[in-house]
Amino acid sequence: MAADDLMSSQKSHRMRKSGPTMRKKSEIDKKKRGVADNKQPNPRAFSVRSVVKAKRLKIRAVEKEQRRIHLPTADRTYGEPPPFVVVVQGPPGVGKSLVIKSLVKHFTHQNVPEVRGPITIVQGKKKRIQFVECPNDINGMIDCAKVADLAILLIDGSYGFEMETFEFLNIMQVHGFPKVMGVLTHLDKFKDVKKLRKTKQRLKHRFWTEIYNGAKLFYLSGLIHGKYSQREVLNLSRFISVIKFHPLSWRTSHPYVLADRLEDVTPPEKVQMDKKCDRNITLYGYLRGCNLKKGMKVHIAGVGDYSLAGVTALPDPCPLPSAAKKKGLRDREKLFYAPMSGIGDLLYDKDAVYININDHLVQYSKTDEENGEPANKGRGKDVGEDLVKSLQNTKYSVDEKLEKTFINLFGKKTSASSERKLEADAQSSPEGSDAESSEESQSDDDVDDHEMDVDSNDGKIKEKTELRGGRLRRKAIFKDEVDDSDEDGDDDDDDDEEAEGAESDGNEDEDGEDESVSDSQDSDEDDVEESEDKVLGNISKWKEPLKEKGRKKNPNLMHIVYGASASSATALINENNEISDDEDFFKPKGEHSKNLGGGLDAGHVNSEDCSKFVNYGNLKNWKEKEVCEDIRDRFTTGDWSKAALRNKNSVAGDEGEDDELYGDFEDLETGEKHNDHENMESGTNEDVEAAERRLKKLALRAKFDAQSDKSELEDEDNDNGDGINPRNSEAKEPGFVDKLKEELEIRKQMNLLELNDLDEDTRIEIEGFRTGTYLRLEIHNVPYEMVDFFDPCHPVLIGGIGFGEDSAGYMQARLKKHRWHKKVLKTRDPIIVSIGWRRYQTIPVYAIEDRNGRHRMLKYTPEHMHCLAMFWGPLVPPNTGFVAFQNLSSNQTGFRITATSVVLEYNHQTHIAKKIKLVGHPCKIKKNTAFIKDMFTSDLEIARFEGSSVRTVSGIRGQVKKAGKNMLDNNAQEGIARCTFEDQIKMSDIVFLRAWTPVEVPQFYNPLTTALQPRDKIWTGMKTFRELRSEHNIPIPVNKDSLYKPIERKTKKFNPLVIPKKLQAELPFASKPKNKPARKRPDLDARRAVVMEPEERKAHAVVQHYKLMHKVKVTKKKAKEQEKRKAYEAEKAKKEVISKKRNREGRRERYRTEDKQKKKMKRGQD
Amino acid sequence: MGKTTYKRLKGSQSFRQRLLLSTLSSTPIIIDEIRADDMIPGLLRHEMSLLRLFDTVSDDCVVEVNETGTRLKYKPGIIMGGKNLVHNCALTRSMGYYLEPLLLLGLFGKKPLSIRLRGVTDDPKDPSVDTFRNASLHILKRFGVPSEGLDLKIEARGVAPEGGGEVLLTVPNVQTLTAVQWVEEGMVKRIRGWTFSARVSSDFEHSMRFAARGIFNNLLPDVHIFNDHKSGPQAGKSPGYGITLVAETIEGCYISADTTVSCGRTDETGEVDEEKQERKPAEDTGVEIASWLLQEIEKGGVVDSTHQGLLFILCALCQQDVSKVRVGPLSPYGVETLRNLKEFLGVTFSFRPDPSTATVVLTCVGSGLVNLSRKLS
Repeated sequence: MAADDLMSSQKSHRMRKSGPTMRKKSEIDKKKRGVADNKQPNPRAFSVRSVVKAKRLKIRAVEKEQRRIHLPTADRTYGEPPPFVVVVQGPPGVGKSLVIKSLVKHFTHQNVPEVRGPITIVQGKKKRIQFVECPNDINGMIDCAKVADLAILLIDGSYGFEMETFEFLNIMQVHGFPKVMGVLTHLDKFKDVKKLRKTKQRLKHRFWTEIYNGAKLFYLSGLIHGKYSQREVLNLSRFISVIKFHPLSWRTSHPYVLADRLEDVTPPEKVQMDKKCDRNITLYGYLRGCNLKKGMKVHIAGVGDYSLAGVTALPDPCPLPSAAKKKGLRDREKLFYAPMSGIGDLLYDKDAVYININDHLVQYSKTDEENGEPANKGRGKDVGEDLVKSLQNTKYSVDEKLEKTFINLFGKKTSASSERKLEADAQSSPEGSDAESSEESQSDDDVDDHEMDVDSNDGKIKEKTELRGGRLRRKAIFKDEVDDSDEDGDDDDDDDEEAEGAESDGNEDEDGEDESVSDSQDSDEDDVEESEDKVLGNISKWKEPLKEKGRKKNPNLMHIVYGASASSATALINENNEISDDEDFFKPKGEHSKNLGGGLDAGHVNSEDCSKFVNYGNLKNWKEKEVCEDIRDRFTTGDWSKAALRNKNSVAGDEGEDDELYGDFEDLETGEKHNDHENMESGTNEDVEAAERRLKKLALRAKFDAQSDKSELEDEDNDNGDGINPRNSEAKEPGFVDKLKEELEIRKQMNLLELNDLDEDTRIEIEGFRTGTYLRLEIHNVPYEMVDFFDPCHPVLIGGIGFGEDSAGYMQARLKKHRWHKKVLKTRDPIIVSIGWRRYQTIPVYAIEDRNGRHRMLKYTPEHMHCLAMFWGPLVPPNTGFVAFQNLSSNQTGFRITATSVVLEYNHQTHIAKKIKLVGHPCKIKKNTAFIKDMFTSDLEIARFEGSSVRTVSGIRGQVKKAGKNMLDNNAQEGIARCTFEDQIKMSDIVFLRAWTPVEVPQFYNPLTTALQPRDKIWTGMKTFRELRSEHNIPIPVNKDSLYKPIERKTKKFNPLVIPKKLQAELPFASKPKNKPARKRPDLDARRAVVMEPEERKAHAVVQHYKLMHKVKVTKKKAKEQEKRKAYEAEKAKKEVISKKRNREGRRERYRTEDKQKKKMKRGQD
Repeated sequence: MGKTTYKRLKGSQSFRQRLLLSTLSSTPIIIDEIRADDMIPGLLRHEMSLLRLFDTVSDDCVVEVNETGTRLKYKPGIIMGGKNLVHNCALTRSMGYYLEPLLLLGLFGKKPLSIRLRGVTDDPKDPSVDTFRNASLHILKRFGVPSEGLDLKIEARGVAPEGGGEVLLTVPNVQTLTAVQWVEEGMVKRIRGWTFSARVSSDFEHSMRFAARGIFNNLLPDVHIFNDHKSGPQAGKSPGYGITLVAETIEGCYISADTTVSCGRTDETGEVDEEKQERKPAEDTGVEIASWLLQEIEKGGVVDSTHQGLLFILCALCQQDVSKVRVGPLSPYGVETLRNLKEFLGVTFSFRPDPSTATVVLTCVGSGLVNLSRKLS
């Protein structure tokens, strides 16, 4: 039987032919085969019937497509991007830290004991991310929303959404919407699978309505051994890593740093003297947004505005792995950096390295020496140990010892650092040792040079020292270096000569007669030197440090132009002298002429402000043909090819120029190509057009890359898209947007090209610190509370302030009360706004624009409408969004965001007006003129309202004329106005004057200093009226007149209309009064007795009888009907009772049988 | 925030640029020791007039000058712009003095600017109104300023000392300026000139034109000098004549040179400016200015030495892109500008001298100044 069974059970496998799995499979299969599934149930039903409809559809499709297009934004971030900020947010107790810990563990295989402050990890070969846990209070949420690139919203699935999530979403939406991903946790609390599924779906749809359809909601099903399951964390990490970030306008225009470390660098003595003294702090973090310039002011969220005392770029603590081609990351490269979580044990500062050692691990060898001597004795002393210990015993530090020695090989100018220091000191010690030493070294150089001249292939060490000395000299030379580069660059001798000739011409021209003989001598010397350099070029051992040094010290036009302005006027003069003494070459070309100009010394503080600089003194005689020949080629009549050559030369010079600036190293550099300079070097011999072409090519490639990314997205869109024909997007030709994109890309490449030319220092000087660098910001005079109450769990946001954003003014915003906030907002009730980087309390005045452009004040915000809000505060550029709160406390139930808004413009004046209605009464009337009292309180006030229109209740219009003081018979009362009306008014009239009065917006602005107090304390600022009233038990003032009273209307009695008899008689009948008043006495007809005739009486009696009979009949009938009805009711009731009984019986029977069946089944199961 | 921190400066040098950059970057400034040791201490008449002009154009700016005029406290307001503005310029300097900062100020206003200036239109010290019309405005266009609405209309001439000229300047407002790569000077393809004479015989113009054209004969045939003889109320109150020459290159660079001859104006001390005392004959003026133009062309650069300041400021005000321009030898005013730009906007230029043409190529990254006062519609 078993065999039979087996046989019969061996059915062939039946493929599923329907159901969701099958559908999916078939689709995949079709895709694989490339078969387009165009089969529709009834193709005819969906074909276009109407031309109009088709057209409309097409238009709609095009419109939809256009809506998708955004204006491309210029991406000005060059180089390595900073780590992306992933903010993990959620209501308390939802598992934020655990998610971060799991992710960090997944990425780096390290356990984080505690999540405090940002944690930076290297996630991939080209990507780093920084995890930030969002604190549970609203201030932290705001700051986090401002820096987040991706927000992971954790939602307790077992509980559902909480207000924090929506508040955070709203804050983010206002400050530019970063990417958002939802994660459901606590899903293991569900026992019922179906319920779980339902909940997931419900939450997902709610999430979608809030963000967009298809927003990613991730599910973390539950904990395993107190951790999320590895597979799910892996999936989550993959979702995080594929997300693309798009730039947000506020952030791309403002630099910001999310500090991951804070140090108090106040001198300890100062703190000891006064514990509450202002502190100096340093903050560390990656620079994001845009480039940071040195002089920029910053806002520290929750503290205030400060200027940066110092900015230093530090080496990246968490660098990306090298670009070597390999798959994946090595374990060594899976770095992570979390200084505030206390994991990174090694900290690199600007000038120090800190090693964090736990106290119990610290063992000083000195104490060891004292106590542990006998232990070591047995082995005998180790040499290394000995050395270390002797070091510990030194009395003097190395510096002190060095100072005592007198050997000074390189004339005090050995290292770059000291050199720089001296340069910096140059201001304080004018000339002095600096100049001296430079002179010394220069003379040395000259000698050395000659030496080198003699034996150019000498030993290396000698040359090294010589060149080190010689470096000082070289730094200044650029004119002759050009010669050199020209020689190098141009193969043709002719060209070279020409260029030289031109150059010398140029020199003569610029410098005029001032060109000295020494100059030319100098140049000759330098020429020689240059050529030597070339010979020595292949010595590469020392080139790196030299290069660095040389680049730093190249004095050029830049130093001359800017060096002077940095120092005082006297210093400028000194410098000029110095330069002219040492190197006559390095004057800016105007400098000579400036001196020529006489009295137009730029150093003179009161020099005349004049853009024109004419000096007709040394004009050439342009009438002569020879003179003209010099510039012949600058005209279209000249030789075009030569002119082109000029440009070409200049461009070639350009390219060679950077070699020339750092020309000393040019030959060295050729050996080793730097990545940055690759473009440049390859292009040295090309002309402009080629360069341009290359640029375009680069741009195109970049564009293509971007597009290929985008096209994927678009494909997705199309898949999702309803009704958009994919053909449409294909047929799209390069339009306006593409052109814009290309332009932007070309510009970017151009910028890169230009900036890569510059050396590092100049580049920082010119464009500021690039985004992505790890910065150390030093800030002075910060309140001590910031350090005392510093809580690493709260993000420290440092945002740069743009031009004009630190001055306060009035801003006008379009504001809407949040639909979830229960109450409307009241004008002049303080609100807390988060705008730009700042958070502050301000007093808004709400208004609405009337049709004539007037801004009318509103007492309260409209319920469901936008209104204008005018408030005072530090200015932000128009189009900046902000969000308003009334209360920041965490224990408040309900929705804390009161309004969202966007700044429209800013002003130094406000133009809000409110309606004013002055009420007055006439006190004297003379024909059309009336004297109005009670309207104004003083004559001064009347003067202000002269000419304004008034009107009475009855509609008589008039005008205020003047204060009517002397018009009234010596009744000198203030505030009586003479008005004229179009008609005579009555004493009982009330006169109104309706006008508009400007409303002042209070100049109040109170920054939130939440970082200067314990974080759990709630910041309190100005209180609202309501709060004050409830605190002090003050009742709301009530104007009695404004109360509603029941309307009492007396019925008015009118006197009868009396029409004179005579008139009545003349009236036609229709118009004659007919409603005669009721008579008091019955009239004659009524009083008259009626005696009937016998027949009449009989008839009357008969009628009466009939009537009586009828009456009786009717009553009888009614009674009968009633009886019948009663009987029927009784019958019905009886029937009902019976049917009820029957039903019950039936039910009972049914239950019984069911019960029986159940029992039977149970028995069967048992 | 309640306390405004002022930037402290000294001396009257580059007064216009300081005011301009202070306004654009909204940094309040205090200037001390303005001609403290001079015979006439304090601000001069044209400087006060300039302050008043800034006040007209902007809203809510605070100007405080002490009694001697040696200390100025300036807190910039918001640049409003607007129509139907009128300003009477002090006669001690010509219109060029006021126009240079005003052009840039107008670009960053809330509304397009249209202002009528009255005073001296031309004098030898400042660029003439013709230069502005025919050279400076073209430079602005390079930076993405729309050409409609950018105009300077000369309604009446007026020379020193009495003035009486009137110009109408209209400047559109922009959101941002676009960076330029402007290193090609190109060859001069045409030279245009404008002469004017007010309250003098038009013979002066003829002789100037004739002399100037004589200089160019060797080089270029495409030279045309227009004349503009004014009389009556349009000629202002003082006699004088002048010439402006502009060379246009195939790359769209405009090199200008101009001068004016008029009676010397008396100083506040009662002395006549010494340079003005001897007046050259018209022929010499023509020759001189034509030679100067050639000199400017010879120096090279995409602008002449007068416009270097304007060019640098424009570069510094651009978006945060790299601008690259070539100029001839740096003029003192240009150097001053560069220093001021670093001080106010933090924009540093890098220099690359080009010895083969005796020019300098300047590179900078713009400050990314955005016209913040423009209203969001």
